[in-house]
Amino acid sequence: MEELDPTVKKVWTIKGILGWSILLPVSAATDVILFFSSHQTFPPGTWTGLLFVLCLLWVLFIPKLRYRVWRYDLRDKDLYAVRGIWNRVQTTVPFRRIQHLDVAQDLIEGNYNLARLVVHTAGTRSTDVVVPGLQYEEAVRLRDTVREFIAQSMD
Amino acid sequence: MQEPSGTFRRLHPLTFVHYIFLAIVGFVFAWFASSDTGNMQRNSLIFAIIYVTIMGPYAIAKYIRFRYSVTCDELVIHYGVFKRVRRNIPSERIQTVAVERTLLARFLGTAVVKIETAGTASAEGVLSHVGVREAERIRTLLRTGQKAFEAEEDLQDSPYFFMPLPRVLLSSTYQFSLGLFAILLGGFFQLESLGLVTSTGTINWLVEHNFFSAAVKESWLWLMLSFTLIMLVLGWLFGFIQNLIRYYNFRIELRPEKIYRKFGLLTIREGTLPYKRVQSFLIRSNPLMRLHRWFRLEMQTLGLESGERGFQPAMPFAKWSEINSLASQIRSFTLPESYHPVSRLTIRRHAIRYSLLIAMSSVILSVFWSSSALWGICLVPVSWLVAWLQYRHHRWAFHDNHLLIHRRILSQQFWIVPVDRFQAFEITATFFQRRLGLCTLIVDTAGAGGLRYPRIMDLKRTEADQLLSTLYSSFIDQPG
Repeated sequence: MEELDPTVKKVWTIKGILGWSILLPVSAATDVILFFSSHQTFPPGTWTGLLFVLCLLWVLFIPKLRYRVWRYDLRDKDLYAVRGIWNRVQTTVPFRRIQHLDVAQDLIEGNYNLARLVVHTAGTRSTDVVVPGLQYEEAVRLRDTVREFIAQSMD
Repeated sequence: MQEPSGTFRRLHPLTFVHYIFLAIVGFVFAWFASSDTGNMQRNSLIFAIIYVTIMGPYAIAKYIRFRYSVTCDELVIHYGVFKRVRRNIPSERIQTVAVERTLLARFLGTAVVKIETAGTASAEGVLSHVGVREAERIRTLLRTGQKAFEAEEDLQDSPYFFMPLPRVLLSSTYQFSLGLFAILLGGFFQLESLGLVTSTGTINWLVEHNFFSAAVKESWLWLMLSFTLIMLVLGWLFGFIQNLIRYYNFRIELRPEKIYRKFGLLTIREGTLPYKRVQSFLIRSNPLMRLHRWFRLEMQTLGLESGERGFQPAMPFAKWSEINSLASQIRSFTLPESYHPVSRLTIRRHAIRYSLLIAMSSVILSVFWSSSALWGICLVPVSWLVAWLQYRHHRWAFHDNHLLIHRRILSQQFWIVPVDRFQAFEITATFFQRRLGLCTLIVDTAGAGGLRYPRIMDLKRTEADQLLSTLYSSFIDQPG
């Protein structure tokens, strides 16, 4: 079983901070309103402080836990992946069910030379199986390996 | 790209009548949705005028921009006002060509043609509206281009399965729907906002002027019971009407390698389902239907029809022998003599979950509503009964290259999933399942709905691994 590239923890941390930051204007606005309100049920700064604590907890634990659980394996006839902290999911995608393959990379992943292998099937639950945190070259290699297998099985 | 030889056509001119009808309905709804205060109604009127001023020219532009061309090889659609799109749908990729005729469409002599492919969650091409003859021409042309084309036949005198009015009425008596509650409540609040009724007055009137008035004066318990009874009767009535409208004159005919279906009272739906597109069978029943040995057969197909959540009704109300006969025509399989239970630990897991849910709801209600809500905790033992019943009704078997799963207590489901239709395999285990050594086995199939999919819950971990290995080996042995 293969582990993901450890750099993915940094990517998940940055994405986590960005995700939580979306809530920052809402919590800050709530605190400003509370500050000027005559009925101060909560002290000013409560919501922003709470958001900060939740963000900190998320950033400290979630990426590490997620990384510890994530495993994948490119076997003879299928792709096998294990992930999930609370709900552990083990997925087996037979190569012959793969509709198409993508190697995806966003700005943050690109900065660390990481990429995701996206496996599309015609199924509904496992339509897209995404293997994140791969070195870009490794993701391309995996894609080409699977593609070759599919091409051979089609002949 | 080379233009197809077919000429481009526009939709039926009466499409505008549909647009106008929908606009009038929307306007009336917006008008009545506002409260009776002057400002709100004036704002509604201004909004409606702005809407018509913008949407009117947009609808005309949309109509003018929408053009289509059909040849034996493909359907080409040009559409879009701001973003112009050209869509080519090759005949070979088309899964179904469905023709729908709503009541208004029948009155106007038009129809909606829906073209579905495997790759999308909704119809990939919708031609609304075209003339009836044009709809037939489109369907025939597209089917001519398909390799498996067989000349369309006229409706057969003796269909394979037909639901005459008495059977449709009988099937309707077994249906129940909660949809009416939402509509009634919505309507009531609307009337209240217009000042035509008041909540207190209506409740008082209901308490004093119904058949239970004498009993209601005795105790609030009788009030609750009478209210529940009225809701049940209304729920049944709504279910009856809904079923009657949907499955009126339901007929299926077997044609080479496909099923032809036609049904509906207000909206008539017709189309064919090729056998090779069928992914799995789902047989459903409610307690009353089971009592009289009636069942409903649905087929999960490629090319999701959003109205049926990926499942097409094949026999809405039939005896087991009829269902077995049709299913066997589509796929050859036999049923096992016995089924395996899941782990008994599922009772504990579900009972604890339901108990916590009941206890938390009771406490929250007692804090925010009335302390008498704490009596709800007395319902905790019921959660054990429900969990036990769930265990009793959850069975599975792998037999004759088909995975068979029985699930649920009231609205029972019986899944028949051919091994060669599997797309992916999943074993999931939540934190609590892992602590009990349990897991859930899921087989993914193409076209399954987001909520309804075949799964075996709370298998022992070793048993799940063994079953997965067996399923996977059988899958690999299958050709293609």
